[in-house]
Amino acid sequence: MDKPIRRLFLLFALLFVALVVQLTYVQVWAAADLNTHPANTRAIEAEMRVERGAILSADGGKLAVSKKEGEYYLREYPQGDLVSPWLGYNSLRYGRAGVERVYNPELSGQTGLLSLTSYWDKILGRTHQGADLVLTVNLRVQRAAAEALGERKGAVVALDPRTGAVLAMVSYPRYDPNRLEKTWADLNSDENRPLLNRPSQGLYPPGSVFKIVVAAAALETGVVTPDTEFEDTGSVTAGGFVVNNYGGRVYGKHDFSDAFASSINTTFAKVGVKVGAESLAAYASAFGFGRECPWPLGGAASLFPAPGDLDKAHVAQVSYGQGEVLATPLEMALVAAAVANGGTIMKPYLVSKVLSPSGGVLEETSPAVWARPISPDTANTLRELMVAVVNRGTGTRAALAGVQVAGKTGTAEVASGEPHAWFVGFAPAEAPQVAVAVLVENGGAGGTTAAPIARQVLAAALGL
Amino acid sequence: MSTRNREVVFLIPALVLTTLGFALVYTQKASTLTWTSLTYGGLFLALFLIAHVGCRFLAPKSDPYLLPITALLSTLGIVLIYRINEDLALKQAMWLVVGLAAFLVALALLRNLSVLYRLRYVLGGLGILLLLVTVAVGREINGAKLWVDLGPISFQPGELAKVLLVVFFAAYLVDMREVLTVSTHRVVGVPLPPFRYLAPLLGIWAFSMALMIFMKDLGTSLLFFGALLALLYVATGRFFYVLVGLVLFAAGAVLLYFVFPHVQVRVNVWLDPWRDVSGRGYQIVQSLFALAAGGLFGRGLGQGYLIMPSGNTIIPNLPTDFIFSAVGEELGLAGAVGIVLLYLIFTYRGLRVAVQTRSDFSRLLSTGLTTILALQAFLIMGGVIKLIPLTGITLPFVSYGGSSIVANFILLALLLRASGEEA
Repeated sequence: MDKPIRRLFLLFALLFVALVVQLTYVQVWAAADLNTHPANTRAIEAEMRVERGAILSADGGKLAVSKKEGEYYLREYPQGDLVSPWLGYNSLRYGRAGVERVYNPELSGQTGLLSLTSYWDKILGRTHQGADLVLTVNLRVQRAAAEALGERKGAVVALDPRTGAVLAMVSYPRYDPNRLEKTWADLNSDENRPLLNRPSQGLYPPGSVFKIVVAAAALETGVVTPDTEFEDTGSVTAGGFVVNNYGGRVYGKHDFSDAFASSINTTFAKVGVKVGAESLAAYASAFGFGRECPWPLGGAASLFPAPGDLDKAHVAQVSYGQGEVLATPLEMALVAAAVANGGTIMKPYLVSKVLSPSGGVLEETSPAVWARPISPDTANTLRELMVAVVNRGTGTRAALAGVQVAGKTGTAEVASGEPHAWFVGFAPAEAPQVAVAVLVENGGAGGTTAAPIARQVLAAALGL
Repeated sequence: MSTRNREVVFLIPALVLTTLGFALVYTQKASTLTWTSLTYGGLFLALFLIAHVGCRFLAPKSDPYLLPITALLSTLGIVLIYRINEDLALKQAMWLVVGLAAFLVALALLRNLSVLYRLRYVLGGLGILLLLVTVAVGREINGAKLWVDLGPISFQPGELAKVLLVVFFAAYLVDMREVLTVSTHRVVGVPLPPFRYLAPLLGIWAFSMALMIFMKDLGTSLLFFGALLALLYVATGRFFYVLVGLVLFAAGAVLLYFVFPHVQVRVNVWLDPWRDVSGRGYQIVQSLFALAAGGLFGRGLGQGYLIMPSGNTIIPNLPTDFIFSAVGEELGLAGAVGIVLLYLIFTYRGLRVAVQTRSDFSRLLSTGLTTILALQAFLIMGGVIKLIPLTGITLPFVSYGGSSIVANFILLALLLRASGEEA
């Protein structure tokens, strides 16, 4: 009987050795991978003991604050869903996103001088404080833009073309970051994708707002001047593809300025074909298509097809923003900003200052040039063309009393449903302070749906 | 040194160690060291010294290492539970008092284990009755039907049934030992005893399967079946029985896997918890995170991340099923391996007791009792570290749970009685 008992002990000894082997594997061998696993919230837990910095709007509004509860600081978002798609969240269970993710080192006090005080705080047993962020976003403009868009799926971007400072960025649908834990599953399965920041992450066919880029290429390469004459018969054939005007309209005799103001597809198809795929691609790239999104929180790159892939029919289509062209609302705002700022696109930014817990300025963002796609002369000409759009063309509903608005409408055909409604523009036309891009998914005609939204946003940004 | 002196020499450092641990957790909670922390430590020391003195009178020649090991495990358990939830620790401390009382009463009443042998059918029947009661009026918690409510307290009859059924298995095998080793006919060249003697064994197999089906309790049925196989092997010396048993169990397990979705879930979560880290895989994934955070030497008692800001434990069922994960995080690989070693020493001492007993019944009983304790420890530790699929059972002496504590102290009393038994 002793032998079986001895063997039984051997069996248990083996089982316990297996435990020790597996424990060593998990606690030592695989520990580094487990500690940095995206689902592991332990690092966030440690940072929840830090008084995370506040996120403030340019006009002093509170976007995110830390409140102490027990031994932890809990994050609160006083503006609810207003800025959630890009402000993001700081969740113990679901990690971080948006500003909370990208500026986490500053907010949790792990950069520069603050990381030194972190060390002292630990020794002295004090609560470590993170840096506050002051954003360029103005809550008044943000609210006006959100109200103007309302409960329509879409995006609004407003920025200062002189500096690149973003004044408002609205995405709809949105989510309330204060209720993230309760709504997480629904948010992720929602096919309307409320977690998506449409202005920087949504890629849409730009439709006629892309005509700004085509016009820039045509003007700079000398293919047209504003006075170049055209004759429209309602349709034109390019490489076997028939181009029609929106709404089946026939414009007859007109010049390039009229073609831009009334957004005549047939004329742009002809102009585009004349400019050629190579030049169109070069200008699209100069405006930022195909380049990494300059948004500090990251985003999608707008797309323009390689010239080698464009036959005549495709060139005609991309000339009025259909076909394989895709743009983010932010990119289209930058296109407008290029015209507004004399041909120079400033790099868009969101954080203007990083403040230490005692209020001192740790970092201040200085405006930087991102691209110079066109000359100041071309920009001036385009400005006149865009003024005409608002004064006598498709964009009259964007007009403001007492301030000249410049802009361009877009009505982008989509595979199913109503077309996407676009408006991009800036004001005041003679000395621009704000550039906007408005997109309403399946919103219908740009001049009807998007232009009035842009008008309200411009008015709010100019303090009218 | 005499056996009992050896016991006290081990007992005191073990308790001083946990008193220090308690003081550590207490100072972190209250940020000052008061006498309270030491009072608690003193209380546990006193409790186990009473048990020790009881042993001096009631079982003077019994094994001197088993009591210090359980003292270390159970007080460490209370320290960890206190660190997780103070109210729960107070309850556990009361259960520890009840457990130690049951331990002394069992030693006092059972001067000779042959009483248990004589009562084998009564005790076996009682064990089965307890399980039937659970199935009939049990309450389901976390998918397993284990709890019975009795007024203000709820308990798990399965824990006590575990001990009773091992007593029955041991006694039954003593009766059957002769006939089971005599083969009357051969099947495919394998010698087999008469079928009527095998029938009850098949009955126990069917019973284990029924447990899984009706209580949805993988852990307990595995325990019963494992203990039965170990006893069968030790009683007959025939590995063939183990083989047949394993085949039967495997067949049953495969069948259950395809019939019961909750078994499939358990296995799939074990195979790949990463597919659903915030859903079904959440518990085991968080357990692995906790272990990884602990590393070699742990984050220190009270320093781990066990409680979320919401007040809930980050690993569900932390004080019961997943207490070993807390050990891994706060005491590290060193602490976790320490616990494994304590169970290994317990197993070694328990089986040594079995080898040194004078009667077949005592030998089989101590083997069976040691087996269920060791197997239970292995199953839950292996489960929370993802070595094997998770079965929701307690870590003996350490986990929170009154029924578990009381049943395991009775188990300890029987082992000590077996070891100190006079010829």
